[in-house]
Amino acid sequence: MSSESDPRHKRPQTFSDITRREVLLTLGGVAAAVGAGAATWGGLELMVRSRQTVERWNKAVCRFCGTGCGVMIGMKEGRVVDVRGDELAHNKGVLCIKGSMLPELTRIGGRLTSPKIRRRGKLVDASWDEAMGLVAAKFAESIHQSGPDSVAFYGSGQLLTEESYTANKLFKAGIRTNNVDGNPRLCMASAATGYISTYGKDEPPGCYADADYAHFFFLIGANSYECHQPIFERIRQRKRANPDTLIVCVDPRRTKTAEHSDIHLPVIPGTDLLLLNAMAFVIFDQGLQNQSFIDRHVRFSDGEHDADQAAFRRFLQSYAPEKVEQELGVSATDIRRVAYLFATSPATMSLWTMGINQRTQGTSLNNMINTLHLVTGQIGRPGATPFSLTGQPNACGGVRDTGALSHALPGGRVVANPQHRREMEQIWKVPEGTISDKVGFDAVNLFRAMEDGRVKAALIMCTNPGATLPAAARYQAAMENCFTVVSDVVEDSETQRHAQVVLPAALWIEKEGVTGQGERRYQLTPKLLTPPGQARSDLEMLVDLAERLGHGKLITARTPRAVWDEWREVSSHSLYNFKGITYDRLEKERGLQWPCPTEDHPGTARRYVEGDDPFVTKGAGIEFYGNHDKKAVVYLRPYTPSPEKTSMEYPLYLTTGRVLEQFHTGTLTDRIAELHEATGDAMFDLNPEDARRLGVQTGDRIEVKSKYGSVTGEARTTEASRLGVIFAAFYDWKLLVNRAVADNYDVTSKEPEFKVTAVSVSKVMA
Amino acid sequence: MNLELRQIVMLLGTLTCLLGVILSIRTARTRFDRIETSGQDVNMGITRLPALAFAKLVAFAALIALPAGAVFIANYHTFEGVHEVRGCASCHVMLPMVNDMRDPNSGTLAARHYKNRWIAEDQCYHCHSDYGLAGNLEAKMTGFRHLARYTSRTYHEPIEARVRFDNKNCLNCHAGTPRFEAVQSHKTAHERLVSNQMICLNCHGQAHPTSAQRTPGSNDYARLMEKMK
Repeated sequence: MSSESDPRHKRPQTFSDITRREVLLTLGGVAAAVGAGAATWGGLELMVRSRQTVERWNKAVCRFCGTGCGVMIGMKEGRVVDVRGDELAHNKGVLCIKGSMLPELTRIGGRLTSPKIRRRGKLVDASWDEAMGLVAAKFAESIHQSGPDSVAFYGSGQLLTEESYTANKLFKAGIRTNNVDGNPRLCMASAATGYISTYGKDEPPGCYADADYAHFFFLIGANSYECHQPIFERIRQRKRANPDTLIVCVDPRRTKTAEHSDIHLPVIPGTDLLLLNAMAFVIFDQGLQNQSFIDRHVRFSDGEHDADQAAFRRFLQSYAPEKVEQELGVSATDIRRVAYLFATSPATMSLWTMGINQRTQGTSLNNMINTLHLVTGQIGRPGATPFSLTGQPNACGGVRDTGALSHALPGGRVVANPQHRREMEQIWKVPEGTISDKVGFDAVNLFRAMEDGRVKAALIMCTNPGATLPAAARYQAAMENCFTVVSDVVEDSETQRHAQVVLPAALWIEKEGVTGQGERRYQLTPKLLTPPGQARSDLEMLVDLAERLGHGKLITARTPRAVWDEWREVSSHSLYNFKGITYDRLEKERGLQWPCPTEDHPGTARRYVEGDDPFVTKGAGIEFYGNHDKKAVVYLRPYTPSPEKTSMEYPLYLTTGRVLEQFHTGTLTDRIAELHEATGDAMFDLNPEDARRLGVQTGDRIEVKSKYGSVTGEARTTEASRLGVIFAAFYDWKLLVNRAVADNYDVTSKEPEFKVTAVSVSKVMA
Repeated sequence: MNLELRQIVMLLGTLTCLLGVILSIRTARTRFDRIETSGQDVNMGITRLPALAFAKLVAFAALIALPAGAVFIANYHTFEGVHEVRGCASCHVMLPMVNDMRDPNSGTLAARHYKNRWIAEDQCYHCHSDYGLAGNLEAKMTGFRHLARYTSRTYHEPIEARVRFDNKNCLNCHAGTPRFEAVQSHKTAHERLVSNQMICLNCHGQAHPTSAQRTPGSNDYARLMEKMK
């Protein structure tokens, strides 16, 4: 049989020749190929997906400093397994080592899980009812016997906004005392008084994003490499992208920030108002001022009366660089160079923090930095702004904005102003005259009032004043003299040791609420975990106390969302207006900057600037609307030496600060193994020349003594310390350097001068 | 003539395919049942093969050996080819990464490494070194999944990485250098970095444009999607 006659070998000529079998075979083949492909793909999809270690990512905010970095929290089976920087937040995904260790924060040991009452000298477990019953009884007794000003609230820049707002309302409109203050007084009070006196309103005009546009960075009294690392990283990124960018660091120590700066001016502690005034002198002397900006936007004042530019220039005559260089410790050449660069750069951004704020001349220093920007017109443009960095995650939003300070009321109002009191009484729907016209006790004076019995009962929340106040031993004793109640997240702190009642508080993502960081940005932290044991949010404790003290009808908002809604409604009656920042928006968006009056408003990056700020009059360009004449004020601020001038008896300057791995008094960060390992015990840093003269070597124990107290600790010699300057970080409770820190404060801001204490140093013989 | 390995491989692959096609046609036209009857040996130069054996050998080469070779060469070419930046840029979803990397004004990690010549060539591959021929199987699977998604247009922008970036890619170059070792945080986080529990980006910022920038309709999208010159 030939192949031609075999139908199996016959090639199909037309479609009709194709057999049904061949069609099915072909279709089967195609189906098999498609099936195999789909199976492979499906298999790949499944296999690749299975590598995920996180079930769900939640948007939140870092617990630690005032940078307020956006974080993404990776959860699995109810545990935090990962934390990443949120690339969509203002920090563009950048955190520091503390933020990166946040998963461990949710597992720290030594959490306080039960209320405790001191019985026969010991703190013993009690029920919430017992503890809160005792607190309410003691508060009521004190109010009844000695009046409302015998009780006080001492809060924190780490409480949530809803908590600080509620405490402020309870004490000022319920109990009727203005004794509401907190640790922000120790941290940014001078920045606040500086802004208010210059612009009429608190909070920075600029934003972090200005760092992306600045050509000249003027960092003074800020070790941001360690204290606000994501911001310093942003500055460095700006410099990496534009190598012509210059960074100047003014700091008595050669800090990490100074190491990474182009110019370091190691001023003598307590003298830098001389530098700022000398820079202003050079600016006018060399004709570097922006006269048209001054003419349009600036008013001069000597603090009491209006002045003029000629008076300002006359005032500056005594601050010529050559006249101040000796006392300042920086050469006239360097002063002139920096002043020139500051004035002539396309965009200058100043950043400062505790080195400026924690000073007896803190307000003047803040005024003067703002002045340098105003007289050179280095403000209101991208990259050109004065910017005070803040230390805590919610000092700005929670405390400054809500007015939870002894002199303040919400939205930039002050208790001394009858109209402001009346406005708040109307908004809070309380009878006229409810809010006391008496300014309450600021932080230091509150503890002094506890010391001498004027304040008999105090509620301390989310802070550790036993370790953070200057002359710490004095104020630890003061707490003993008062019925002190402390809400805290961990067992045992310098404050708890002197407390009568201790209340266990929820930490970070164990409660929901809003925090406002350094650039007027409100961000929401969700509740993702259950607090351990009986721990509660501070808001729940405040609501409970209000109810027990008979103010339940005043404190009607009792959930974070309800309090926030009340507070944003209150804000709409002020120039802080953020009525448009709802929880719904905060859940979706990466924080919003106020002013933000409506729900369709994008928020305000640059304040006082037309197009950004909704309150600027159309056509005005820049308008400092916080003051009645819509002008910013330039003050004539004379330099006065710190009361802690060195002497024969106390020949060295002690200054204190933070280190990168630790936050505040270390109650949280020092419980994280890696962070504890990284820093070890705090030591005294001495310049090798000073050490040699004192016969001290690294590892020796030294006694550092001031008029206020003495501290013994280990010495370490380092070139980072300027000659004549000794430094210790304040995170370590074992060293507790604040025992030696001077008990002086700025008369305007009432902020203590942690940065300048005259001390003597001697080697301790073993 | 100065041929690169890549070009030689490409030439070899093309020749293999051509030869495969020719031999396949030849095989298709071969009547195996007739060869037996004609039965002439074929001179192979070094040996003589019976005609049927030769035809079977040709069929083997055409249907099995050459296709397998072509697949191998194609894979080799793909894996080696994607070492090059332009290999990555040939998929348009990768354009934002490549455009941003070459933007001197960008501050992303990729752009800084590129601009400062920290990596001389094959910049993408240096930091994503698990996808080459010598890379791991997971990266291969991921790569094929990308290919399937891309060619079938079943992806959505902005694309998101599914697998965790391996810190080894960073540590390979940085660990042990004086600048790296001088940073205290690297010691603090050493274990976590090595075990990939903590990502390097937490402190060093974005590697590439954010997902918001890569979302169609965003302010940066058009600029990031510009065709490569």
